[in-house]
Amino acid sequence: MQANRPATYAETNRDILRVLFKPTPMFIVAWLVSVACIVFGGYHWYRQVYWGLGTDGMNQASFWGTFIVTFVFWVGIGHAGTLISAILYLVRSKWRTGVYRASEAMTVFAVMTALLFPMLHLGRVWQVYWFFPYPNQRQLWVNFKSPLMWDVFAISTYFTVSAVFFFIGLIPDLAIVRDHNTGLIAKVYNVLALGWRGTNKQWRHYMAAYGFFAAFATPLVLSVHSVVSWDFAMATTAGWHSTIFPPYFVAGAIFSGCAMVITLLMPMSYFFGWKKYVNMWHYDALAKMCLLTSAILTYSYATEYFVGWYSQNPYEWEIFQWRATGELAWAFWLMIFCNCIAPLPLYFKKLRHNHVFLFIITIFINVGMWFERFNIVVSSTAHSFDPSMWRAYTPSFNEWAILIGSAGWFFFWFLSFSKTFPSVAMMEIKEMVAPPVRGGHHE
Amino acid sequence: MSRLNRRDFLKTVGLTGTVSAAAACRWDDNRYITPIENLLPYVLKQEDQVPGTPTFYATTVTTGPHAHPVNGRNREGRVVNVGVNPEAPWQNGVPAAALLGLQRHYSPDRIHEPTTGAGDAATPLTWDDAMGRVTSAVQAAGDKKVAYLGPYRSGAIVTLINELTDGNAVFWEPLGYEAEADAAEALFGQRILPGYDLAKAHYVLSFGANFLSGWGGTKLASQYADARNPNLGNFVARFAYVGPHLDQTAANSDDWYSCSASAQAGVALALASLVADKKGTRAALGSALPVVDVAAMALAAGLTTEKLESIATQMASMPSVALPGGASGATTGAVDLAAATYLLNLASGAAGVTFGMGRHYEGPIHGYSDLKALQEELDAGNVAVLFVDDINPAYSLPASAGMAASLQNAGMLVSVNSHPDETQALAGLTLPTHDLFEDWGDEIPEAGLVLARQPTMSPLHNTRSLGDILLTIGKGTVPAVPAADETEDGTAIDAAVALDGEEAVETALPALGYTPENWRDYLSQTWQRSGMVTGSDFEQGHYQALAKGFLEAPGRSLTPPALAGSHSFGAAGAYAGSGDVILHAYPHPFRQDGRFANEPWAQEVPDPMSGRTWGSWGEIHPETAASMDIADGDLITVSQGDVSIQVAAELTPGIAAGTIAIAFGQGHTAQGDYAKFGANVVDLMAATATSGSGLAWQATHVSISNTGEKANVPSTLGGDQQGGRDLAPAVPAAELAAVGDSESAHPGELTGIHHLPRDPRLVETGNLDFYPVPEHPNYRWAMTVDTNACNGCGICSVACYAENNLPVVGRQLIAQGREMNWIRINRYWETNPDGSPDARFLPMMCQHCGHAPCESVCPVLATYHNIEGLNAMVYNRCVGTRYCANNCPYQARRFNFHSYVWPEPFHLQLNPDVSTRQMGVMEKCTFCVQRTREIKGVYRDQGFTTKVPSAAVEQLPACAEACPSQAITFGNLNEESSKVAMSRKSGRSYIALDELNTASAVNYLGRANFHVELDHHGAGHGEEYGDDHADSAHGEDHGDAAHGSDHVDPSHDDAGDHAGDHQDDAGDNAGGH
Repeated sequence: MQANRPATYAETNRDILRVLFKPTPMFIVAWLVSVACIVFGGYHWYRQVYWGLGTDGMNQASFWGTFIVTFVFWVGIGHAGTLISAILYLVRSKWRTGVYRASEAMTVFAVMTALLFPMLHLGRVWQVYWFFPYPNQRQLWVNFKSPLMWDVFAISTYFTVSAVFFFIGLIPDLAIVRDHNTGLIAKVYNVLALGWRGTNKQWRHYMAAYGFFAAFATPLVLSVHSVVSWDFAMATTAGWHSTIFPPYFVAGAIFSGCAMVITLLMPMSYFFGWKKYVNMWHYDALAKMCLLTSAILTYSYATEYFVGWYSQNPYEWEIFQWRATGELAWAFWLMIFCNCIAPLPLYFKKLRHNHVFLFIITIFINVGMWFERFNIVVSSTAHSFDPSMWRAYTPSFNEWAILIGSAGWFFFWFLSFSKTFPSVAMMEIKEMVAPPVRGGHHE
Repeated sequence: MSRLNRRDFLKTVGLTGTVSAAAACRWDDNRYITPIENLLPYVLKQEDQVPGTPTFYATTVTTGPHAHPVNGRNREGRVVNVGVNPEAPWQNGVPAAALLGLQRHYSPDRIHEPTTGAGDAATPLTWDDAMGRVTSAVQAAGDKKVAYLGPYRSGAIVTLINELTDGNAVFWEPLGYEAEADAAEALFGQRILPGYDLAKAHYVLSFGANFLSGWGGTKLASQYADARNPNLGNFVARFAYVGPHLDQTAANSDDWYSCSASAQAGVALALASLVADKKGTRAALGSALPVVDVAAMALAAGLTTEKLESIATQMASMPSVALPGGASGATTGAVDLAAATYLLNLASGAAGVTFGMGRHYEGPIHGYSDLKALQEELDAGNVAVLFVDDINPAYSLPASAGMAASLQNAGMLVSVNSHPDETQALAGLTLPTHDLFEDWGDEIPEAGLVLARQPTMSPLHNTRSLGDILLTIGKGTVPAVPAADETEDGTAIDAAVALDGEEAVETALPALGYTPENWRDYLSQTWQRSGMVTGSDFEQGHYQALAKGFLEAPGRSLTPPALAGSHSFGAAGAYAGSGDVILHAYPHPFRQDGRFANEPWAQEVPDPMSGRTWGSWGEIHPETAASMDIADGDLITVSQGDVSIQVAAELTPGIAAGTIAIAFGQGHTAQGDYAKFGANVVDLMAATATSGSGLAWQATHVSISNTGEKANVPSTLGGDQQGGRDLAPAVPAAELAAVGDSESAHPGELTGIHHLPRDPRLVETGNLDFYPVPEHPNYRWAMTVDTNACNGCGICSVACYAENNLPVVGRQLIAQGREMNWIRINRYWETNPDGSPDARFLPMMCQHCGHAPCESVCPVLATYHNIEGLNAMVYNRCVGTRYCANNCPYQARRFNFHSYVWPEPFHLQLNPDVSTRQMGVMEKCTFCVQRTREIKGVYRDQGFTTKVPSAAVEQLPACAEACPSQAITFGNLNEESSKVAMSRKSGRSYIALDELNTASAVNYLGRANFHVELDHHGAGHGEEYGDDHADSAHGEDHGDAAHGSDHVDPSHDDAGDHAGDHQDDAGDNAGGH
């Protein structure tokens, strides 16, 4: 499967560490663009806080707009990392080694981006701390019946565990960074590496801890998006109130996450010259995951329609009809095209192995998954129980600006990460190549 | 800073509060010549002015010849709301004119002081200066005339006006009643407006008058609701409408006989002839009823003889009433139409029952012809001083009338008005008057009934009463004739009272002249002379009359009018103009002729039929629109000659093809910024006189073209049809009339609603309710909304804006879908089995569910179910996730997308009992919790230890109070005999979206429909407006019911919220399916 020659330990260290700390002009431009996006989005968020949510496109029927859409999108993106690092670790799937570090980073930053949205979306963001059940003199408490409260716990748990798992995986590589640098960098990474020396005892404990966290994170991969889906499934709103949502959301999350991993890693590998470490072996496996989950999604869409028709529930059937034919039908058909039809050519190995083609397909999938959430969030409330209150929703410029800011936020972290931490797990790559034996055969 | 202890804090607050309260009560004798003993400022506390407690003043609101008794609610010196006067001679809810008048009272555009010039060029004057100018102009008039032009007025002011102008007074209104008065003059020999009593009518035939939202006063809406109420006598009145356009009134009709306005008179006359033959009354009518060719009349109207026969048969067989056309029927043949309806009423035996004298209006009703006469005098330079009082001919009349130019020919044009308008803008001198909440006055809406007006608060601005202005001028121009024993203020009354009371009344006193000290004295002396204040002590009787708001002569009742002449019927109404589309202009329920166009509520609260706000729209039939390639919401140009206006296209089945209906009253230029929206439909018209004294409003042909742009006249209504949802079902009228709302074995059976079945597995295991059922040990506040009584006028919504401090968001935010109404009127178009359109109105507000979907999803418990059954909302706790609103199936929640402001002085109207809300916070209907809390406190203070009986709170919420039809009833569901509890047992009771098991506190009562059968579904889906798949869904349900059992799905929520009941009901239901 592997097209390239296996690297040696030294080569691995050299290739991976080469890209750290020395930004190219192109990187600086990209990094500054991400900062500019944050400033741009931040200003528009300030406008929204100052003038109220009226700066956005929501109305008295569709109360949730692109903020919740994008929240669910990023939570979904945040699935692939832990799936690849934890579940594939537990099932000893070898192809994960090249991609898991970057996908884990993607997970952490995606969840960090997702966590912005409950705040961006709040009417009174200055009261956001009321979401937490902290003891207070006024004896105010939170409502544990609310799926939003479940969200708070599910996502904060997922974020904590993902971040810790991510950090644990980094420790041996941090030590390598430490060992290959001097001065301030060495001091900082010395602290971060928590005194890692690579002794047998440390490795034994390390592997136990890693295995434990992998096992701990695995159910969270399934639970967190199930809980997010309950935001919708637990509501009475027709089009949301459906038992299919948890598996459907989890499949969608993995679909979008795997696509996003390809979208991020392909240029990264290209620009950093990492063909030996991240290559078609990985893309092929990820593309197959996309194919599988795309099929699950297609089936879910069909099931939703079938149930809507078969139940003869007028509210539900109306919404599914409207999605496909109403003012927002373009969004629906865009979703169908991107999620159900566009991935189909990946069944052909030739197309799957065409870098450019695969990259374009993953962009389609990313767009399609955003519009899937758009369809769910917007259309159900726009065509709810009372026909008199049917009204469509159009996102405002302010919302797009904030969304651009949030994307800037994600890329700011991801770009900064790629220059400060090894984005490919050196120690696991090394597990797959012959150890450097003294006097042995170097290639 | 030293620590402030509690006592010091309270002292400081008390002091500053008092000072600011005193400062707020600006008091200036200059503004108020009338003595002030009843309007003491707040620092000198009156016994009836307790801070935090409202004081009610009975007063009177006037619209045209109609007066409505209301109560002004005064809090801390400000009138903050208008409610019903429980002692009034009739109950009419709170008319739109009262609530809009309240907002008008606080309008920032009010004229604050006397000025010369107007608008930007206005120069302030002192009152002395201004009065000096007008008085010397009147003195210098010499041979020239001093004239007055004003709205319909009755009562004491008319005498004063006529005296000062030597009879050169024209009492005219744009959408007036000249045709009705002309016809009455011809037939009955008196220039009056006959009275009506719709409550006794089993059959109401209307030729277009908007009698449910303006024409005839809101008491007619109240009477009509009684006639439709199956519990008041076993009948449901059938309402037939003959005319081209279903406005909000006509949309309530059961039978729509579509014909052009010009053909209405012929139809009325043909019907009079048919009914006279059937009832054998032709002889009695004699030559007054001409012989007509019924078939020709039917043909001209596009109707069939059979249809006319059918109407005539129904009118002859039951108590009926025919109503004339109002402004909607004002073609050139308007007098023919009015005369024909009077003859029809005489022929059908309605006279003395539902129609007649005795409760007629007898104030002066001048017509357009009188206005023309005045105009000729003006143009001839014969008018030295013209007072224009609160009407707006410069805006209301077609340009070809040339009124604006003629007004300027007056030697001195004096505007006596409280608000600016296009006519005031022409005035050389403006004397701002008190408005209806500041002034004294009286109105005589019916013979023998005087409704009193008294101030509900002290004047806001440097204004004076019109009566005082006229008296001052009179005193200045005519040497005062000292009354025999008048010495100083008030002694004239004392002297009169000092005589034997009875004799004092019976003795014909000399005319008042200008002797009374001030307008209020003038008024009380007029009442004293009228002899209507009974009892020995006039002063006491006078105060009693003020307290209850009216004086009434005994034994007033409808009597048959005596036929005293005949009317010669002319040709059918003629249309002029080059286009091929008939222009149908109609009065708007809120803005009427345009007088309320500058009131934000009148613009913001959606039009009941189109849902449109802040602009003008033209209603056209989809077929007409299709032929012109016009889509709903397009900006269309309506033109006549070289004049054109632009309006939004509103496609509706409720209009005849080839006709465009546009409401009067928009597109002002000088009435304030809120009135500038839309276009003035009168611009398209030529000044065409009717055959009588009036102006023909329906005489224009126009042409229509599409601009290709979208109009910005936002509508709050989404879908037009229910789509099989049974939100507003129809109930067979015959069955309803038979059983009324008596206890039914199967509540809801008449609605024919088959909700989606509840999951039988959950029912079997008793797990239907996931969360515990809330307990309500004392009260379970609940509401019943009778969709049969509701006529869709939308006044409930306006009242809610006034009571609950709802912000007005304006056109742009409504276009973005951010209106803040807590109660809305859903309007659905259904189709009757015969294919005719059927409008259904459904008032929708928070349902205060027992299992509220909004409550369980709020992460911070900002909304919760309280012990009295209210779905309470804690604004301060809300963080604005908006999850609750997404999860509300009734979509009753409203989010504050911004912090809204009330431009000064609108903020003075804010109800101090209700907080305003910040941006980012959710809000919704509270069932007027401030009122339930208040009445509980009042009840306790009165020493009661029991619960407040439901009978005391039936019309407690602002919407229920305002409703002229009493369609909304409030009460305690725990009280088994309460109306709300009883209504749930009715055969037409249903819960909206009951299958969601929300345990709603609001039950609706189905609307009577004469076209559906008991086994019919009620939702009335037709091919055109219905919903195919929904139909098939119904078909299945139907089958189940047909061979399943005779059991009809009961209304599940019997309000007790007992889990057991739920299970039983649901169990039955599951068995049935």
